[in-house]
Amino acid sequence: MMSWIIFSPEFYFLMVGTVFLGLSMTRRVRPEQVYFIALILASVGVGVCLACVRLVGDLFLGTYRVDLFSQVFKVMLSMGLFLVVCLCTELDGIEERLHPEFYFLLTICTLSMMMLVSSVHLLTIFVALELSSYSLYTLVFLRKGRDRGIDAGIKYFLIGASASAMMLFGFALLYGSIQAAYLVEILKILPGVINRPVVIIALILLLSGFFFKLAVFPFHFWVPDVYEGAANQVTTYIATASKVAAIAILMRIIALSGPGSTYLVHILVTLSIVSMTIGNLAAVVQKDLKRLLAYSSIAHAGYVLIGILSMNPAGYSGAIFYALSLLMMKFTCFLVVIKVADDGRNLDVEHLAGLHRRSPILAMALMLSLFGLAGIPPTIGFTGKLLIFTAAMQKGYFTLVLIAMINVVISLYYYLLVVKAAYLLEPGKELPDLKVSPSIKVLAGLLIFGMVVGGIFPNYIIELSKAAAIVLL
Amino acid sequence: MHMAYADFPYLSSILLSCVGGLLIILFIPKDKKDTIKWVSAVCSGITLLISVYLFFAYDKSQGGLQFVEKFQWIPSLGITYFNGADGFGLPMLLLTGIVFFTAVLTMWELQTRVKEFFALLFLLVSGVFGLFMSMDLFFIFVWYDVSLFPMYLLIAVWGSTRKEYAAMKLTLYLLAGSALILPAIIYLVVKSGFNTFDLVALMHPGTFSPFQQKFAFLLLYIGFGILAGVWPFHTWSPVGHVAAPTAVSMIHAGVLMKIGAFGVLRVAILLCPEGWQYWAHLMALLAVVGIVYGVFVGLSQTDLKFVIGYSSVSHMGIVGLGLATVTVEGLNGAVFQMFAHGVMTALFFSSVGYIYDRTHTKNIADLGGLSRIMPVATGYFIVAALTGIGVPCLASFWAELTVFISSFKVYPVYGTLAVCALVVSALFILRVVQRTCYGPKNDRFAHLEDVSFQLGIPRMILVSVIVIFGLFPNVMLDMIQTASIPFVNGLP
Repeated sequence: MMSWIIFSPEFYFLMVGTVFLGLSMTRRVRPEQVYFIALILASVGVGVCLACVRLVGDLFLGTYRVDLFSQVFKVMLSMGLFLVVCLCTELDGIEERLHPEFYFLLTICTLSMMMLVSSVHLLTIFVALELSSYSLYTLVFLRKGRDRGIDAGIKYFLIGASASAMMLFGFALLYGSIQAAYLVEILKILPGVINRPVVIIALILLLSGFFFKLAVFPFHFWVPDVYEGAANQVTTYIATASKVAAIAILMRIIALSGPGSTYLVHILVTLSIVSMTIGNLAAVVQKDLKRLLAYSSIAHAGYVLIGILSMNPAGYSGAIFYALSLLMMKFTCFLVVIKVADDGRNLDVEHLAGLHRRSPILAMALMLSLFGLAGIPPTIGFTGKLLIFTAAMQKGYFTLVLIAMINVVISLYYYLLVVKAAYLLEPGKELPDLKVSPSIKVLAGLLIFGMVVGGIFPNYIIELSKAAAIVLL
Repeated sequence: MHMAYADFPYLSSILLSCVGGLLIILFIPKDKKDTIKWVSAVCSGITLLISVYLFFAYDKSQGGLQFVEKFQWIPSLGITYFNGADGFGLPMLLLTGIVFFTAVLTMWELQTRVKEFFALLFLLVSGVFGLFMSMDLFFIFVWYDVSLFPMYLLIAVWGSTRKEYAAMKLTLYLLAGSALILPAIIYLVVKSGFNTFDLVALMHPGTFSPFQQKFAFLLLYIGFGILAGVWPFHTWSPVGHVAAPTAVSMIHAGVLMKIGAFGVLRVAILLCPEGWQYWAHLMALLAVVGIVYGVFVGLSQTDLKFVIGYSSVSHMGIVGLGLATVTVEGLNGAVFQMFAHGVMTALFFSSVGYIYDRTHTKNIADLGGLSRIMPVATGYFIVAALTGIGVPCLASFWAELTVFISSFKVYPVYGTLAVCALVVSALFILRVVQRTCYGPKNDRFAHLEDVSFQLGIPRMILVSVIVIFGLFPNVMLDMIQTASIPFVNGLP
């Protein structure tokens, strides 16, 4: 009986999901009440995950592993959910009668991602991944003003379905060639057979499903359209929590290959370079802020991949740290997007004009998060990049680090354009001050504090991510 | 290396008064402009007092690193909070204190977005102070970037003349420099095998192979060299100087460009001495091209600030030439020139800034006869111009003399070229002085007031510093020698 305690975060979110399923059937609750319930349940969820951080154990015939690695990611995921729910006061991108469904899908998606980071068997990985993908497809469809959401949703679904198919084929090939489906067993066999062509192909096919989630080239085509087409809150969720889960599972899989085969590393290096270059170059010409952030997500997928492909403890812990920093920085950007576009519309970069007068704290949060994304000290984004680049340098990938740094400079150009819009441009007609509630001000202040303190005193988070990374190896 | 721990955290106090000033300013309501200015003046005054005290409290007979503060910051990565001052760092700290304090006083008349301006200025200067005192590679890089990114807003919001273009160009150029510095730093740290960013530990001879030193030195030299205005990476600098508001031009040309040269010295040369000797000839070549190029491009400029901007390129070339000689005199001259040029350009920009604020033009052809209208303002301008030419008894003279003597010994051809260029520069600066200050009185500006006593204070401070170090150059040279002699003698 005791062993089921380690499953409590998942139980909790299953229960939350049931609550919203019930609410969606009654239709007697006003949207504000649903929001309030969601906020409370999500904040308790963070507490539950925090309380379970140090639990360890196996479940379901050893297909489900609870360890520090998975629990750290569960905390990040529940934080992601909580932060997204915080932004749902003006959920105007989604029709009112669908609000309970929105929260239901959000919770189920979080639940399935939590299962994903704990999965250590090919089947559980597949089931959890599909469950999260399908909730996200539906969430994208929910956007009010049907055309946009449906267009984006179909694109997302088609690319996602083909990526899943490739992944499934990869699973089949892998199982066929080494007769193992438990990751523990694969870990024992794989390093010995890593240079067999069939295994390499199996691994690449298998990874494509996760590349799709993380938006790595060549599975990045959905990102700009989905970011643009989905409701702002849904985009926030895809850009933060979903990316964190993708980073986690990618690390679990890559860690299987042990010291790594040179073929695999070469492929990953290529994908990483192409992803960051394409993402950064395409972002330079974007006018829509959400599309810009979408391309920057593609670029960041490339940076994270550097940490993962280093395949050493420093690289894995760097990627965990990076996942957390990405969560905070991307979320801060979207916080500003949602608050400035208070009627749920999409936001052009130039609509930020005059933000420094309309809401100084949001302008400052935006500037810091963009500088963080560009990797400028003393923000948390710089520390993440430093960890990842150090890991790559330990493996002797000097050129890769240099290319990444050149990309950082390119990215700085378009981040600065956004900062310029917020601090320099003046709106054509006089706009009133933004109505930012005190709680959002506190949230923005906390995020600013977190991004700076995470950059200046990162010691605790680094130690934690190191401890979590050791579990993988 | 001799290390003396501090009995009181002087160096951290400098940083603290910058960061503290920043935080206080952030919490003052933006309407209380005078309060903000007074807080800025007091905090920057404290940094000046401490840096002057440190300059004279440094024990020259002991040498080495003094006022050291050191404790673990991120143990798992080998990052320490490690501050110390030596003969290279102290002149730079003194320079920063002087320029910062005078820059704040120069901006006393600012009215637009006062709070943000001073907050960003404090952020920038904390980066500069931090870099000059830090002995940890991680912190050096962090301070380097902290001092750069406020520049974008400072120029783009309060600047003039194509300010957005200039701000973007400057930021991208300088961050491109940091894109070379960071990989080089990580490369050195990883290759050393020590798992530490501690500069003193990494300086241990034999840590890096000759190849590693040559490779890393080149990256570091170009990376920091961009900020030092090394030809052909200098193009951001005149554009940036022209666009920036007065105080930012002062700090930018006076202090920020020195960060680049100081980075070459502190990180590249000290860590990779063999790379330094290997690439010295290239450094000398680029430096001389910069000197000659800056002078000749400056000749054809019509904008007052562009003239100073190009003369900065040329003067920073002298610093580069000094560093390239690989001799004690060369290093002495280079560091002295950094100091002298910093004070001189600050004075230059502050006097031009006053003229521009009043006449609203920087075009040399439109000015003229100013010495009859505002004799004091033009007086400051002329002192700065004379210092720039290298008139004896002013600080720059000794610095340039030391560099030229040592470069004649090592690179006779380059030395000759540089001296010839300096003669031409005298020509073009005097021409500018003649066109703006003398000639017939211009009625358009007849109603303008001269510099008031209050606004004159910062300029007087700068002039007196130039004269003091021009009359007593040994105060500075003895200080620099405590660091340069042991270092050059210890070379393999």
